[in-house]
Amino acid sequence: MYKIQVGFYFDQTRCIGCSACVIACKDWHDIPAGSENWMRIRYNERGKFPNVFVSYLINPCFHCEDPVCIPVCPVGAIIKREEDGIVIVNSDLCLGNEECDSKCLKACPYNTPQFGSKKGAKMRKCDYCLDRHLEGKLPVCIETCRTRALDAGNMEELKSKYGQIKETDNFIYSERTKPSIIFKPKKK
Amino acid sequence: MENRENEDIQIIRSSSAFDCGGRCPLRLHVKDGKIIRIEGDDYEEKDEQLRTCLRCRALRQYIYHPERLKYPLKRDGPKGSGNFKRISWDEALTEIALKLKEVKKKYGNSSIFLVLGGGYQGALHDGMFAMMRLLTQFGGFSTHYGNVSSEGAVYATQTQYTSPFVGHSRNDLLNSKLIIMWGWDPARMISGSDTIFNLIKAKEKGIKIICIDPRYTDSAVVLADQWIPIIPGTDTAMMVAMAYVMIKENLYDKEFLDKYTVGFDKFKEYVIGIEDNIPKTPEWAEKITSVPAETIINLTREYVKTKPAALMDCQGPARSAVGELYNRCAMTLTAMTGNVGRNGGSAAGGLMGIPYGHMFFGSRIPPPYRNPVETGLKSVRGSLDLQLRFQARCHTNKTFDAILKGKEGGYPFDVKFAWFVNNNFLNQLGNTNKSAEALKKLEYMVIADLWLTPTARYADIILPVTSIAEKNDLTRPWPSGPYFTCVNQAIESIGECKSDLRIAEELADKLGLKEFDKYLDEKKTLRFLIKLREDTRKNIRNIDKFRQDGIYRLKLEEPYVAFKEQINDIENKPFETPSGKIEIFSQRIADLRDPENPPIPKYMERWEGRYDPLNKKYPLQLLSPHPKNRIHSEMYLVEWLKEVEPHVAWINPVDAEPRGITNGDELLVFNDRGKLTIKAWLTERIIPGVISIFEGAWYNPDENGIDRGGCVNVLTKDAYSPGGASALNSCLVQVKKFEGGV
Repeated sequence: MYKIQVGFYFDQTRCIGCSACVIACKDWHDIPAGSENWMRIRYNERGKFPNVFVSYLINPCFHCEDPVCIPVCPVGAIIKREEDGIVIVNSDLCLGNEECDSKCLKACPYNTPQFGSKKGAKMRKCDYCLDRHLEGKLPVCIETCRTRALDAGNMEELKSKYGQIKETDNFIYSERTKPSIIFKPKKK
Repeated sequence: MENRENEDIQIIRSSSAFDCGGRCPLRLHVKDGKIIRIEGDDYEEKDEQLRTCLRCRALRQYIYHPERLKYPLKRDGPKGSGNFKRISWDEALTEIALKLKEVKKKYGNSSIFLVLGGGYQGALHDGMFAMMRLLTQFGGFSTHYGNVSSEGAVYATQTQYTSPFVGHSRNDLLNSKLIIMWGWDPARMISGSDTIFNLIKAKEKGIKIICIDPRYTDSAVVLADQWIPIIPGTDTAMMVAMAYVMIKENLYDKEFLDKYTVGFDKFKEYVIGIEDNIPKTPEWAEKITSVPAETIINLTREYVKTKPAALMDCQGPARSAVGELYNRCAMTLTAMTGNVGRNGGSAAGGLMGIPYGHMFFGSRIPPPYRNPVETGLKSVRGSLDLQLRFQARCHTNKTFDAILKGKEGGYPFDVKFAWFVNNNFLNQLGNTNKSAEALKKLEYMVIADLWLTPTARYADIILPVTSIAEKNDLTRPWPSGPYFTCVNQAIESIGECKSDLRIAEELADKLGLKEFDKYLDEKKTLRFLIKLREDTRKNIRNIDKFRQDGIYRLKLEEPYVAFKEQINDIENKPFETPSGKIEIFSQRIADLRDPENPPIPKYMERWEGRYDPLNKKYPLQLLSPHPKNRIHSEMYLVEWLKEVEPHVAWINPVDAEPRGITNGDELLVFNDRGKLTIKAWLTERIIPGVISIFEGAWYNPDENGIDRGGCVNVLTKDAYSPGGASALNSCLVQVKKFEGGV
């Protein structure tokens, strides 16, 4: 369907939850402080002292194979690029968070679409650093990661390099949307 | 200095220079004179890239923060009110010069107090060096002694090795078979830009990692095969019990001890109970530490049998009343297991420094002569007598007590004029409320800073300082190179900001100090500074390239290992201690005859620990570790950083529930020294009986004297251990839900 599909690899056993990727993303895309975060870190803690389990998880846009955000958008503001499968939004077309009741956000199983806190804010989200991608560079989060827990690229290549594992702690693979991410999972 | 990426954007290669254990290469993208983006190291060996953390990723919001100071300010209201009016540099420096001359004439030079921190660490523009040079030439000044962070480890390593270079190259961790991280969280406290990644590589190589800590730290989250939670302040009891197991089971390296150490017999007498009739058994330690005796025994056997093993102590547990004894016990264990001086081992000692690119060897413009206020004193060289350090100085954690009490309080000076540079000590030293009282009474205060910090609010004059993007400089990593970096100017000064060096030079004119040398030509001076030190002179052949790259990486043929020379050839290369060996027993300390400062490492309870009777009134121990989203209190105002981790107190549900505290509740944390409010974060990641508040949040007292900023030091004590460690982690508090009243 698509020539290639790009996506992410995340080694959950390496993530210290430092949030350098979150801030690098805000810096690169010039996003002011506030609730709009194209990259987020999800935290999970289980167990009772002293038997504790903790995991961190990245949450960019997973550029799903079947993005459910696209059909629900009343104005067709979201598209999936044929050449690489990157899901991008035309914020100029977006009606804003109030007028359409954030349909894309409600549809997305990973809460990826970001509206910011202002009334009428248009949707924006992780675009796989499209500007960098077009220059042959990896997304800024990848080069930021101090523990090298992240990689990105053509999913077929990532799978041959890192394997096929689709789920990890705190992450359920959506058969409906088919997120483009594979993991080295953290288990306990 | 620049690479052109496209027509509009210049890439300036620079480096951080904060009071941070990371020194990270930065690529500043500059367009139309403004930094628009920041990227990190792009070294071709990706595994060896020195990747910067979230803090310098947010550097843009720091440099361009709307609250950055842009003009000199003069107080325009009561001290501490925060009311200031803008004045010109000429007015500010004229007033300061007049005041300095007046104070000198009336009270003498010892009443001029220079308060020095580590907030900016460049060879040329560091205000510490500039102001020391200036005030030396003005007739002298008083100052303070002791590093807030690491003094316990400094004293301990001076005692047993007489060298601060106790570290290995970080990649030597990969030569280990077992790594014991004892009170060390490099995921947050960046002790080396590449440290956490080397530890991850070690773990993935199959090296077992054990974390001993009151908290399940972020380092433990990714590294720990085993987490051993321990009651704060009792690490030494567990270490001594490990020595007991080694002795009882005959597991220690006698040959190593005979050949390389002195005083083990005296330590052994203490451990097995000859000295005090208390055998330091694992069962004895279990009652103190809460670590099961079986865990202590198993860990000891594993540690002894796995060679080489790296016991990595750090500085946090020593930042306590226990202080240097923690590092001394750790060093003793590394000697008993023969792990000193070998690849994959560790000398312990908590400082982790290697003598390649280390900040201790940094260049500076030397003062032309000794500070006149400190001439004619007894020599401190080689001595472990802390009192000698206080002939003309106070302890750093007594800075404000000294300001408050002066000679009447037993200090060697009465402060009438204080100059604060590179620090926010009101916020960062113990007992902030008392410190604020001291600053209210201080006759005259000048501070040079980028921000209207809680400390700056008490100043008479505030001078605005440039950020690292606004000057050229050299800097070095704190503990571990091996590399050198440059700070390269990317933008023009914001507002009317000046570097600390320039401030000193202009003040010299106002003071009429014609002999004060100026270094106005940065390029020439940086060349001079590079040539000043042997390591930079020898290695950096192409200075222009070094400055353009922003970094020079030293290539070591093999990892540096502390004391390898001594271990390989003790006859010809003795340790620098008086005995030439590792001093488990220190005659220099014995000679001080201070019962609080034992010549052998021991477990001592001291004060404000779990077993202090004060525990009845204040039953929780308070820890104040390094935050990840600030460098101490620096960068506190940066919103990107604030939002990634709200300022919360870690508290175990076991402690929260009986107090009716649920997650997210506003807490009142209090003791006799102060009160603060902060949100509760209920977590199983902290041992019961302990709460943890990251240091560095800004002090913001309300009209009832309750700190609403969550500055942990309103609770901590302005005290130090016998070896000089600032005892900020020995602190007892009580906690309740904050209902708006007291």
